[in-house]
Amino acid sequence: MRERIAGGYDPFVLPFVIGMIFIFIYLFIALIRVFRAMPGSDRKKFFLSLLNPTIMYKNIRDVICDCLLHIKIFKRNALLGYMHASIAFGWFMLIVLGHIEVMLFVPQRNGTLHYPIFYRYFVAEQNATLKGAVFFFLMDFFLLVVLSGIGLAMYKRIRSTALGMRRTTKPCFADRVALWCLWSIFPLRLLAEGFTAGISGGSFLTKPVNMLFANFLGNDMNVLPTWWAYSTALGLFFLALPFSRYMHIPTEVLYIFLRNAGLKIHHPRKGLAEAEIYSCSSCGLCIDACPMNMQKKNLKYSSVYFVRFQRRNNKKKINEIAEKCLMCGKCVALCPVGVDSCGLKQAQRATVTDKLPYNYSFLASAHHQGGGPSMPLAPVSGSATGNEVTANAAAHGAGNATGNAAQSAVGKDKVLYFAGCMTHLTPAIIKSMTTIFDAAKEDYVFADKDGGVCCGRPLMLTGKVTAAKEVIERNREMIQDSGCKTVVLSCPICLKVLKEEYNLKGITLLHHTQYINQLIDQKRIRLNHSEESFVYHDPCELGRGCNIYQEPRNVLSAIGELKKANKEKKESICCGGSLGSLTLNYHDRVKITQESLKALTFDNPDKVITACPLCLKTFSDQSTTPVADIAQAVAGNLK
Amino acid sequence: MNNNVIVIGGGPCGLEASAQLHKMGYNVILIEKDDHLGGHLAKWDRLFPEGIPAKELLDQLTGNINGVKYFLKTEVKSINLLDKEYNVILSNGITILAQAVLMASGFDLFPAQKKEEYGYGIYDHVITNADLENYFKTGKDCRIKQNPQRIGFVHCVGSRDEKAGNRYCSKVCCATAVKQACEVKEAFPDAQVYCFYMDLRMFGRGYEDLYLKAQRDCGVRFIRGRVSEVAEDLNKQLVVKAEDTLSGKPIKVTLDLLVLMSGMTNCSAGTRIAEMLSLKRDEDGFFTCKDTIFSLQESDKSGVFYAGACTGPKTLPDTLHEARAAALAINNYIKNKE
Amino acid sequence: MATFGYSLTPSSRIDLCKFNQEKWNRLVELESDVLKCMACGSCTASCTAGKFTRTSLRSAILYIQNGQEKQALELVQSCLLCGKCFMVCPRAINTRNLLLSINKIYSVK
Repeated sequence: MRERIAGGYDPFVLPFVIGMIFIFIYLFIALIRVFRAMPGSDRKKFFLSLLNPTIMYKNIRDVICDCLLHIKIFKRNALLGYMHASIAFGWFMLIVLGHIEVMLFVPQRNGTLHYPIFYRYFVAEQNATLKGAVFFFLMDFFLLVVLSGIGLAMYKRIRSTALGMRRTTKPCFADRVALWCLWSIFPLRLLAEGFTAGISGGSFLTKPVNMLFANFLGNDMNVLPTWWAYSTALGLFFLALPFSRYMHIPTEVLYIFLRNAGLKIHHPRKGLAEAEIYSCSSCGLCIDACPMNMQKKNLKYSSVYFVRFQRRNNKKKINEIAEKCLMCGKCVALCPVGVDSCGLKQAQRATVTDKLPYNYSFLASAHHQGGGPSMPLAPVSGSATGNEVTANAAAHGAGNATGNAAQSAVGKDKVLYFAGCMTHLTPAIIKSMTTIFDAAKEDYVFADKDGGVCCGRPLMLTGKVTAAKEVIERNREMIQDSGCKTVVLSCPICLKVLKEEYNLKGITLLHHTQYINQLIDQKRIRLNHSEESFVYHDPCELGRGCNIYQEPRNVLSAIGELKKANKEKKESICCGGSLGSLTLNYHDRVKITQESLKALTFDNPDKVITACPLCLKTFSDQSTTPVADIAQAVAGNLK
Repeated sequence: MNNNVIVIGGGPCGLEASAQLHKMGYNVILIEKDDHLGGHLAKWDRLFPEGIPAKELLDQLTGNINGVKYFLKTEVKSINLLDKEYNVILSNGITILAQAVLMASGFDLFPAQKKEEYGYGIYDHVITNADLENYFKTGKDCRIKQNPQRIGFVHCVGSRDEKAGNRYCSKVCCATAVKQACEVKEAFPDAQVYCFYMDLRMFGRGYEDLYLKAQRDCGVRFIRGRVSEVAEDLNKQLVVKAEDTLSGKPIKVTLDLLVLMSGMTNCSAGTRIAEMLSLKRDEDGFFTCKDTIFSLQESDKSGVFYAGACTGPKTLPDTLHEARAAALAINNYIKNKE
Repeated sequence: MATFGYSLTPSSRIDLCKFNQEKWNRLVELESDVLKCMACGSCTASCTAGKFTRTSLRSAILYIQNGQEKQALELVQSCLLCGKCFMVCPRAINTRNLLLSINKIYSVK
């Protein structure tokens, strides 16, 4: 291998070098901006995370799996995964191989920006020597890989359904420029290296190209123009990069590091949020994921457009989308980059709602009045005092007696049952749960028998974080004071916030699906196996929210036949009743409910089973198939 | 040409229309899906405003249909237009060619269990208006205690309710609730009766007097507020929550019995036939009349006529008027055809 | 001019002329469903906060229409946004958005 051009330079590399320098400077400034906007504690946390070997290992694994191989997309659709992985990994390998070649064969050129990229122009390799042949083969191989990916990408623009996507994003101007550049970079590289293959050598791809064109084109004439074109395409791509969706390529790496350091969003557009926003690759997987998009008019509310408007700082649109979103989390679960758009939206909502006035001074008195979650504490487990107290309370319509008498009744081994606000509108769940508690001979306390204080999750979702903290703090004290070691909840919305925000040390939090599953495992309840068939709806807050997928399925398999839904687990469709959306009206919600029911009943189950009072109520209004909570199904099959 | 007319539905509307058409000389075939004639009327005890026994009216109606052919436990299997005549195949295998079809399919009671927050089918002492009529008729209902002290009526269950899919007012429940409140007070003189209403629609002659009677003679407490949720305590008593909108305060009361005033919804059996004929229906499921004032009995298909509650909630007098008007409309239609 | 001392005591009568049409229009723009309310009281009856302190969306709408904005705001300040009222509203009004919108429009001095 020897250098063909003395000095190792030709003016055609200029566009590339300019683009490269531009992008380096741009990225450096952007990096500083992100870190400056972060709270000091977050910065510290981040730098400490770099010293932690476990996190470092996770970082490296995530970069390889997410940025290069796109494992997550592979799992969704193999062809779509190959498209992304071939371009990303292929290109990465071309760059790495270029550098290795430079290091091995022309070490004097180490450190130049352009040399590894335009290697084939600057060197000459007359015969296929072994060391040259291996690298040239590898280079041609990865070029072919990238080209196949580009081919698929072009095909996807015409027919997206072939790659498992019903709808794709509409690219903006900078996206188009970058897209055309990206699409032309590799064919141009093939041409350039093809024309040069006669001089510099080539392999299975570039050699035939060279011979093909030699038949009707004077190859030598075309060498320089194609290298110019290749370099220009690269340069233009880098210039358009920061303003296009491809900004995700460099940003994603940063985001992985920040995410793994455990940072949280503080501001909807700055710091971590900025890294997230620019990590979005506009792939559009979230468009098909969004339950609102059953109606075409709602396409504009997809997370990808939210992020795009965030980049452009279009306040009106940002707020509109943020307030419309159901916060069901499906787009987050399916996002290949893991952009937490719900977190971004919540932070965005906070900019509007957190400053709205409120007055929760009543919470202090609620504590003494006996109305908080653990305060009414009506002892229900069949004790004589329980009956007396409730009769008394009923006659006088006062909660005081209940609260005071209950205090002493709470013991360490007792289970605290917290039904939640919504569950009071679905008495079947409460009734079934009491039946199950009695069947299991559980010593339990019904915390909010006469209605309690809200858990705070709806406030959090609305962005009223300060207000939510106040509610949470009050409830937290009450739960901790009760002395119970296990809390069973019927509402996944409550469960999620208790888990994430309450910081209840030493207290086990169980959704009733988990609790029932435990009872079955411990043989504390015995069930009939009926002939009925069920389909299970994963409530957003229980499935994607708390990662509880298996327990309810175990329970249902114990009492009947469990059928599959068209979309389930991570991909389950929101029931439409979500408290996440602020502005979605009832009629648009009904459309979502119907779509969700359609996906659930596609295998004609006898019953639709859910595990959330909100889902139950929402489905019941629309469903022709009977809908029940999992507790109802279990209570109905107790031996 | 035959002079067959098919009447679908053997409730008060279908019975009265059949009797009138028969008198006009038509060969009437009456089809009823249940095993008895009279529809909801046969299950009712007394009628507002004066409390006339439902049986009296039913006897009168069935007495008038001598000579009318009727099939019980029979449904329409298929129906289609064959050259200006309707070809109807019944579930008992009989095929009829008819000049005209009268839809008198009436209504279904709103299934109260759909409003789960009221606890029908979940709590022990929650019943519907129909259950209460059945209790008056038979004296049996295990959900009604020996001597209930406090009894509540919830108006508008499944009516004026967008979530139940019924935005309309069911028209008859207010008067029925007030009637039943008086009756229940007569049955249990010690009981205090509460009516939870949104608006009281006592529009008919004598209805206001019924309202007066309920207040003055029966001491019924009328509370302007929709019940939002019902809980059950350890004694199986019902704790009902509502807002007393007149004082602007949330209230609760513990009851021994709660009666849900289920409204009217479109008849599912009638809807099936409407689909065979592709008749136009409104968003709420009831049939769409040709117009809303002048041609209430005509449908969008010539030869198909409507009467009674299949075009929306109606009182019994309204229904009987419509039955007669439909008979007249059918007569005019067939005469013109000839 | 003799005033007989009456003018010193503010009238307890509601003055409908104090109704602010422009703000109301903005409210309708943000949540048009406010026009659907038939004052049934379901929201107030099921209100989580309403058990402890006077909270009533229904009354708040009425107060706004009567030009008593301050009182209206007091009736919704304790709301926890739990969403029960949305579930029970027979007219399917998006009560949470309505409530936030009332706060947005009427809490501005």
